[in-house]
Amino acid sequence: MQGGSNGVGYGLKYQARCIADVKADTDHTSFLTGTLSLKEENEVHLIRLSSTGTELICEGLFSHPNEIWDLASCPFDQRIFSTVFSSGETYGAAIWQIPELYGQLNSPQLERIASLDAHSSKIKCTLWWPTGRHDMLVSIDEQNLFLWSFDTSKKNAQVQSQESAGVLHSLSGGAWDPHDYNALALTSESSVQLWDLRTMKKTNSIDHPHVRNLDYNVKRKYMLVTAEDESGIHIWDLRMLKFPVLDLPGHTHWTWTVKCNPEYEDLILSAGTDSAVNLWLASPPSGDKPTTESFDSPYKPVDPLLNSYSDYEDSVYGLAWSCREPWIFASLSYDGRVVVESTKPHLPRK
Amino acid sequence: MGVDDVPLDDKAKRMRDLLSSFYSPDPTSPSRTPNNNTTSSRFATLDTINTTTFDADQYMNLLVQKSNLEGLLQRHVDMAAEIKNLDTDLQMLVYENYNKFVSATDAIKRMKNNIVSMETNMEQLLEKIMSVQSRSDGVNTSLFEKREHIEKLHRTRNLLRKVQFIYDLPARLAKCIKSEAYADAVKYYIGAMPIFKIYGDSSFQDCKRASEEAVATIIKALQGKVFSDSESIQARAEAVMLLKQLDFPVNNLKVQLFEKLEQFLVDLHLESKEIRSSDLGGIPVSTSSSAHEASIREFAEAVRAYRVIFPDSEQQLFRLAKDLAAKRFEATKQQIKKQLSSADLVAMLRVIWTDVLLMDEVLPEAGIRDFTFEAAHDAIKQYVAGRFSHLLLDISGFRFTRYNGISKKDVKNTKSTLVKVHDNQKGIIEEECPLQAALETSKKALVQGSMDALLDTRRLLDENLEVLSTLTDLIIEWVREGFQDFFRKLNDQFLVLSGKKYSANQDLTFGEGMQGDKVLPDLVLLLAQLSVFIEQNAITRITEEISSFSRGGTRGFENSPAFIPAEICRIFRSAGEELLQHYISLKTQKILIVLKKRFTTPNWVRHKEPREVHMFVDLLLQELDTILNEVKQILPEGLHPKHRRTDSNGSTNSSRSNPLRDDRLVRSNTQKARSQLLESHLAKLFKQKMEIFTKVEHTQESVITMIIKLFLKSLQEFVRLQTFNRSGFQQIQLDIHFLKTSLKDTAEDEAAVDFLLDEVIVAAAERCLDPIPLEPAILDRLTQAKLAKNSE
Repeated sequence: MQGGSNGVGYGLKYQARCIADVKADTDHTSFLTGTLSLKEENEVHLIRLSSTGTELICEGLFSHPNEIWDLASCPFDQRIFSTVFSSGETYGAAIWQIPELYGQLNSPQLERIASLDAHSSKIKCTLWWPTGRHDMLVSIDEQNLFLWSFDTSKKNAQVQSQESAGVLHSLSGGAWDPHDYNALALTSESSVQLWDLRTMKKTNSIDHPHVRNLDYNVKRKYMLVTAEDESGIHIWDLRMLKFPVLDLPGHTHWTWTVKCNPEYEDLILSAGTDSAVNLWLASPPSGDKPTTESFDSPYKPVDPLLNSYSDYEDSVYGLAWSCREPWIFASLSYDGRVVVESTKPHLPRK
Repeated sequence: MGVDDVPLDDKAKRMRDLLSSFYSPDPTSPSRTPNNNTTSSRFATLDTINTTTFDADQYMNLLVQKSNLEGLLQRHVDMAAEIKNLDTDLQMLVYENYNKFVSATDAIKRMKNNIVSMETNMEQLLEKIMSVQSRSDGVNTSLFEKREHIEKLHRTRNLLRKVQFIYDLPARLAKCIKSEAYADAVKYYIGAMPIFKIYGDSSFQDCKRASEEAVATIIKALQGKVFSDSESIQARAEAVMLLKQLDFPVNNLKVQLFEKLEQFLVDLHLESKEIRSSDLGGIPVSTSSSAHEASIREFAEAVRAYRVIFPDSEQQLFRLAKDLAAKRFEATKQQIKKQLSSADLVAMLRVIWTDVLLMDEVLPEAGIRDFTFEAAHDAIKQYVAGRFSHLLLDISGFRFTRYNGISKKDVKNTKSTLVKVHDNQKGIIEEECPLQAALETSKKALVQGSMDALLDTRRLLDENLEVLSTLTDLIIEWVREGFQDFFRKLNDQFLVLSGKKYSANQDLTFGEGMQGDKVLPDLVLLLAQLSVFIEQNAITRITEEISSFSRGGTRGFENSPAFIPAEICRIFRSAGEELLQHYISLKTQKILIVLKKRFTTPNWVRHKEPREVHMFVDLLLQELDTILNEVKQILPEGLHPKHRRTDSNGSTNSSRSNPLRDDRLVRSNTQKARSQLLESHLAKLFKQKMEIFTKVEHTQESVITMIIKLFLKSLQEFVRLQTFNRSGFQQIQLDIHFLKTSLKDTAEDEAAVDFLLDEVIVAAAERCLDPIPLEPAILDRLTQAKLAKNSE
């Protein structure tokens, strides 16, 4: 990277959109990332941060049949991950396993454990339950929500249940509540929908259009963070859906993704198409009347923006906190550049 | 004891010592004795000759030891002469004393003879005195009887005189009544009272009745006198005193009189009310106020009289006076609520002040002056606060009404006005510059309103009223506070109107109504510009005005915590930026919807060959036109036509030179994509970063450019999400080509716009399965066709 940044860089060969933290790997801080190239052979990279934290090492390089639009690592098995891919009009999603002893093989092949091929329209993303072992997987396409039961030992996935959100609501993504594996939040064109996976029914919705990405706060129950194209970042209390608890300005252009830190409850990271990653410290007012309090103090004395990392050449689409070292995050800009940064210098002293 | 002293005045010293030993009762000289006793043996000197402890042998020995023969001889001669002298002195003294003793004996002898002759004279004198005493006793006894008789006669005469007085009393009282000498009458009556008390029922019954009748008339007359205003205060006070002496129940009178005063006060209040209403009605103030003053004077006189008459009733009067002042201020406050001009207020205060001064003259202890200060303090504070809330109402009301073109000040129901704005907006869109006009009028309203408020309060200060002059500092302080508060509230209102802030006061439906696309972007823009105006212009003007206003006041202006122009400026600067940002985001949201539709609906992989420029471009250009129209009305033209590299907010991509890009597009078929990417990466290394999202300024160009940039960036992002076939790519290429020609004139930052346009094509090429660009000739032809069609 250019001067002034402390980040550790790593270059992918092609453009890329997605990066994920390998949560199950407790010995190393590692990330999985997949490329997005229409015409070339796509690759999945397993990257590991060296123990000194100054270098990114490519642990594994696997070819992937199609361009990867979404990638999620299995939270309980470091060798398993899922991807969403498409090529032209074709699309699909699959669960992959990294072969053992891959380091010794010349050109290791990913083992496709299961194909999530029940979808009838373009798949948007796959979700694992983030908090622990839960043999379920959710996949979302433009109109439907699928719940798969996944068996690691038998290495297959079966549709557990399925529900359509309706043709009008074109779904774009979602997040799984880390506090409750029955709760799921989906983003659609006009609203954020909250689903219960037991009944496969929509339980509630936030009527807020243009939500692009959302994330549950791992540390605070009922807190949901959403990112929108134009109006920045909103933090919601799921018990009060009328108004957001807190607004953050977001990015100059679209705010593409938000990620809550797995350890520090108020720390939020966002990436945008203005080629920047912003680090926020957002303390939503606690107590019974959060909304009125935010009226009372329109001019916050503290700027919630802790730092803006702007040394990117292109839009940043991929963003992942490391669960092992929660002050470290990896970002991926469209030009295929992975940057791992530590937020430590910017964290407020406690 | 110095040996040196001896030869100096040996003789004189010895003489002195001798004399002192002669006259002092104690033969031993006290000063010498202790010394000589102890020293005689050890320090034997020649001086010891004059002491009582003189040892002749020792002296001789000493003398012989110390002196030579000649000295001894000399000493001998001296000593002999001295002894001779001493002898004669002694003789003289004895003779003198003896003489004195002889003469004393003679005197005593003579005295003894005189005393013997005196005793006989004394005896004669005693005898004579005895005879004088017996004679005087004789005279006394002989005159006693006559004197007794005279005394009796005298007593009788006094009694008779008293009886006579009582019998005469009625007549005398009548006479007094006739001559109005009530004081004498009362004195007589009281003098006769004890007698009437004792004998009134028997001997003097008639007399008593008659005089009581007379006294009754006197009381009546006195009562009349007390109540009559024409009598002098002195006379009335006297009358009350007399009544008191006559045991008349004065308290009743007092209460009655007090009631009369109260009644007077009520009348006065009513009257003043009438005056006020007539004032407002337009009748000249001078006549009514002079009448008012006269009545106040009268009241003051009455109070003065009352006070003199009943000196113990001050507390009541104080209460009354305070009541008067309180009532007056109550009325004033009522008027203030009705928004009266400062001139009226000053006039009212002036009237009250003169009243108070009059009252104060009469009742200096009542503290009415302090009370008035306090009340005036409250009233003016209320006035200033009221003035500012009116100003706020006026300005917001004015803005809406002007915006509406409806002269109805319905500000309370903001929602309805807003809806009206909305309706009206549609109606007057054909008018030339509705926004500009609205902005100008709001500016004017704001400045004019503030200045009016200032002038109004200033008028308060300019009046040389004593009440106000003491409050000057406070008033200035209040005005500053008022402005501070006013601007804060105005800012809040702006934010609420723009939908940036959900107002706590407004009901939920309203809050929802304000959200989303229902907020009018042009109103937001208007507010943004107004904020800028306030920040840059209005605040300074008001600050100047205020500082001139405080007349180099007692307190430094900068130190005043109440009104901090810098803070207000900061608030409005951020509000202005926020609102402008909000306007931009509202506008881009609209554009975003168009783009979204455009990119999500068609199947790009099976796109047909491009025949013409897609109509979404028209929609976009139309939208841009409306924005341009709005922006041109309100925002000033930019001073910096050049792209500014400072104030970068964010940045993206490297600028790759166009030739290289075109090259790349041409070669893209033949060369490997990987090398393309490598090439672009390489290019990035050598090119400076292109800053795209710069800080927005309050200028036409800046806003328009910002919106275009945001739109192009969005376009790029949408393109990146799709996969195109060759035709789809060509369609995009065509659309962009057309946009390029159309946007050329509108955008300020041409380099960035060009770059972004190219970026879209690159993105499309990257996302294309088979990126073969259209021939430039075809592009031009299609673009021309579109232009021709548009101009039709």
